[in-house]
Amino acid sequence: MPIRINPKLIDELELFGSEDVQNCYHCGNCSAVCPHADEVFVFPRRSMRSLQMGLERKLERSIEPWLCYYCGQCSEQCPRNAEPGETMMSLRRWLISRYDFTGLSRLFYKSWKTELAAVVLIAVLAAAGLLAYGFGQGSIHIYDGVGAFLPSSAIHVFDLTIGSLMLLFLLANSIRMWWLIMNRNGESTPWWLYLRKSYLLPWHFFTQKRYAECESGKPASVHMPWLAHLGLMLGYATMLVLVMLFLPALQEGPQIRWSTHAFGYLASIGLLVGTIYMIHGRLKKSQVQYVHSHGSDWIFLILLFLIAISGVLQHILHRIGLPVAANITYVVHLAFVVPWLLRMPFTKWAHMIYRTLAMYFAGIRREALAKQIAVADTVQQLRPAA
Amino acid sequence: MSFEPKIVGFLCQWCSYTGADLAGTSRIQYRPNIRVIRLMCSARVDPSFIAKSLADGADGVLVCGCHPGDCHYAEGNYKTMRRFPFLKKMLAAYGIEDERVRLEWVSASEGQRFADVVNDMTERIRLLGPSRVRSKLQTDKAER
Amino acid sequence: MHNSKIGVYLCNCGTNIAKIVDCPALREYAEALPNVVVSKEYKYMCSNPGQEMIIQDIKDHGLDRVVVAACSPRMHERTFRSAIQTAGLNPYMFEMANIREQCSWVHEDTWAATEKAKALTKAAVLRVLHHEPLERMSVKMCPSTLVIGGGIAGLTTALDLAEAGQQVYIVEKKDQLGGNLARVDLTAPYLDSARDLLTERITRVRENNKIEVMLNSQLKSLEGFVGNFVAAIQIQDGRPVAETKKLEVGNVVVCTGYKEFDAGRITHYGYGKLPNVITSFEFEKMLKAGRVETKEGRIPQYVAIIHCVGSRSQEFHGYCSRVCCMTALKYAHEIKSAIPKCYVSDVYIDMHAFGKGHEDFYKRTSEVKTLFLMYGKNERPVIRKADRGDDCEMLIEVNEKLSGEVIEIPADLVILMVGMEAREDSSEVARSVNISQDKEGWFIESHPKLDPVATTTDGIYIAGTCASPKDIPDTVAQARAAAARILGKIARGKIDVEAVYAEVNQDYCSGCRMCNELCPYSAIEYDEQKRRSKVISAVCKACGACVSSCPSGAIKGRHFTDRQIYAQIEGVLA
Repeated sequence: MPIRINPKLIDELELFGSEDVQNCYHCGNCSAVCPHADEVFVFPRRSMRSLQMGLERKLERSIEPWLCYYCGQCSEQCPRNAEPGETMMSLRRWLISRYDFTGLSRLFYKSWKTELAAVVLIAVLAAAGLLAYGFGQGSIHIYDGVGAFLPSSAIHVFDLTIGSLMLLFLLANSIRMWWLIMNRNGESTPWWLYLRKSYLLPWHFFTQKRYAECESGKPASVHMPWLAHLGLMLGYATMLVLVMLFLPALQEGPQIRWSTHAFGYLASIGLLVGTIYMIHGRLKKSQVQYVHSHGSDWIFLILLFLIAISGVLQHILHRIGLPVAANITYVVHLAFVVPWLLRMPFTKWAHMIYRTLAMYFAGIRREALAKQIAVADTVQQLRPAA
Repeated sequence: MSFEPKIVGFLCQWCSYTGADLAGTSRIQYRPNIRVIRLMCSARVDPSFIAKSLADGADGVLVCGCHPGDCHYAEGNYKTMRRFPFLKKMLAAYGIEDERVRLEWVSASEGQRFADVVNDMTERIRLLGPSRVRSKLQTDKAER
Repeated sequence: MHNSKIGVYLCNCGTNIAKIVDCPALREYAEALPNVVVSKEYKYMCSNPGQEMIIQDIKDHGLDRVVVAACSPRMHERTFRSAIQTAGLNPYMFEMANIREQCSWVHEDTWAATEKAKALTKAAVLRVLHHEPLERMSVKMCPSTLVIGGGIAGLTTALDLAEAGQQVYIVEKKDQLGGNLARVDLTAPYLDSARDLLTERITRVRENNKIEVMLNSQLKSLEGFVGNFVAAIQIQDGRPVAETKKLEVGNVVVCTGYKEFDAGRITHYGYGKLPNVITSFEFEKMLKAGRVETKEGRIPQYVAIIHCVGSRSQEFHGYCSRVCCMTALKYAHEIKSAIPKCYVSDVYIDMHAFGKGHEDFYKRTSEVKTLFLMYGKNERPVIRKADRGDDCEMLIEVNEKLSGEVIEIPADLVILMVGMEAREDSSEVARSVNISQDKEGWFIESHPKLDPVATTTDGIYIAGTCASPKDIPDTVAQARAAAARILGKIARGKIDVEAVYAEVNQDYCSGCRMCNELCPYSAIEYDEQKRRSKVISAVCKACGACVSSCPSGAIKGRHFTDRQIYAQIEGVLA
């Protein structure tokens, strides 16, 4: 059945940040230079082509955009300045919006002003709610313990509720992702392959080692983005675990509880260094991948930076014995955290799960294909000579 | 050792000789049995040329000209075309096989065609064997 | 003749000959041939040192005849003839053996090739013994020129000649000048107006009193030879009755142009059945009228352009028509500027962006979001009517190569880039001026690389698309090249005619007059008083038809005598 092309898709993707994809004349230099492309997954040219021709279904079901870590070498090599790197980035944004069944993601990506307005609205509402709660049941002069303004037990429940809600959305969207990618017409993957390859999940999640493998003429500068990103990611993963599971221990004070707080300090360093490096990079356009910035990129980084700064600040204020300032800062901190958490399944942050899943699915697909080829070869050998 | 025919070719300068040169520039390979004599037009071919060639020991004679209508001298090839049947009849009377003397049209852009014609004619004459005139000449030489 | 001293020179031609033919053995063989006093081999005989060697040997050894075994005489006969002329010999005391194009280049068997080379060299040596010194004639060169065709090529040639002060006649079949370019709106890649280009030319032509333009006119016949042609033109131009005018010209430039391929021959495209499938020229009409719309008068939302219609296919024409790729891009640009919201798809096989400014033009066309889709040479797209309820009129099915998918392209308007073909009257033209056509009908040039505007018939030149598909810059270049060649010939004032012609021996001639009717040039006249036939040497073209037909053997074909040919036969069969 011939597929009807859709020349209007490029226009839509421009809202997601794609630029100049129409310049591509398919020389293939990008796929040739890409350190991660191979015979099974050919990119970025294949994705560029599907986008040019508007093959929505094919794009929706592709893994290739997730296999890219935006080292930017393809964009550097492109003789037509078709920005394949940025196209892959915009495809990732687009895919996030496609996996999301609510439609919120598409809304936020198409207009950063809408996203910002939502963030501000939720922050204000959260702040108002928290202040009301705090004044309602405690004293602003007490940070910790009985009569605390924002007792950790309550915040704990609050955090867990929001967290679980978001996890549910994320789970739903992940299942949609699986359905689109792995459940292609007729192809069924044996269940035991899912088990076999499951080690890929923690591996890619925690190390993002493939990012480091993006070669470049200048080795140090590529590792820097990887290290910065690793620091950032491990930073907030640690923070997330601490906040979700160890909040009472974290908030206790004013003495420093090294067994818990040490992790918090490391995490904060990671977060601050990471966000500052990336914001600086995007301002100065120091790397190929920082040249283009979509509204969603800024909101992500700035919000995270503000969360980190306010978190550190409220911790310091508490430890040096300024409970009122600490509580106010805490409210501000939480006012940032709430929209941050609520946005998670609908925005850039979701790549944390999607990319990990994509690496997993890619690993499974590779093995399945290898097995198919092996089976075909065996059948060929066993067939009696004609 | 298989018999190697000797073929004399009369090619007109404008079409067939140029076509044969084109086979050369295109490096199209063909049998080396042919020896070419250049004339301005196929109409210049006197029956005595063909007779003499055969008498002097040629196993075959190939005459090439421009395609009808394309003669550089307007009508020369038509004259050649008219003369040939008479010549063939006469040669038949002398017992010379029909396939030994051949008229072909080769244009200036037909290098491949020239090569194909030469190859085809060489093989056909190889099958026919040496011309009786040549064999007679050889035995004469041997007897002397 | 028995005291003749022949010098034989074997060329290695680098390794072209030496690789296959055993040159030392050949040289030795030649040395032993009758009357050969010098036998030498050299790397490149046609080079200056090579020619010097011959000239020196003529002086030192008193050679009176020279044989060179090398490339084809069509390449260097002239070179060596003038070399020996420098040394004081008559240029016709020379013969070449073709041991390259017809020997070393076509045979792999080195022994057989060497034997053949020996036979050909012997034939040349035996022949040259019978050569006679011949004198060339000088005839006047008429400075007027006839230009057939009033398109951009014809107009350009005429202007160059006229502005140099020479008389030019332009014969144009149609009722206006401009040719195919007059049907075009803008030209790629800089989008200049074709009308401006032509108007400039036509105005200058009309204002130049050295150029006589004959519209609605045709060449009926051309007689004579270079420098001395008589052209019979049938002129209708403005007259109530057509009349025939005879013009004396020295040279003719053929600029008859091309015609476009009939798209109806490809049924897959539905041309002639689907109303909104049009050809490039039909689209030009739309552009000239300033309106891009479907047959029903609607603004198209989707336009598709298909390349290589009738070109690059085994079924129709194998060649590339050269101009269509850039023209298609031009259309994409023009559609996008006329209808910015229109989606343009360009369906091509390869993008031929060979010329100046072409790659940039291609990039600019991509930038305005033209979608480029690639199809395979042997799998043409298929156009069909869309279903009711679709947002487009037609759908084009393509096996797209860059994505590997079979796709359907929506289209409200399809433009077919039809290729160039030789005109139907081209064989008539070829016959009347005595030039040849290749198997596609294009006129053949003297040498595709080294002599692209001359033909094998002296005095007849070809310029523009009648010789092969090409764009405007190349057409103009050829037109100006032809003019330059002719001006060079005119500057000399006279022309040397080949000394090779037929001669009737008045003693042997029996007055049967068989030769009179045979000559295609009517070059043989009959003297009623003497009752003998005589050849008019200036008109004779040396075809030899009369020589072989004379029952008395009275006609001698100079430089192609019976004696000479018999010697050659003996030589090749030894």
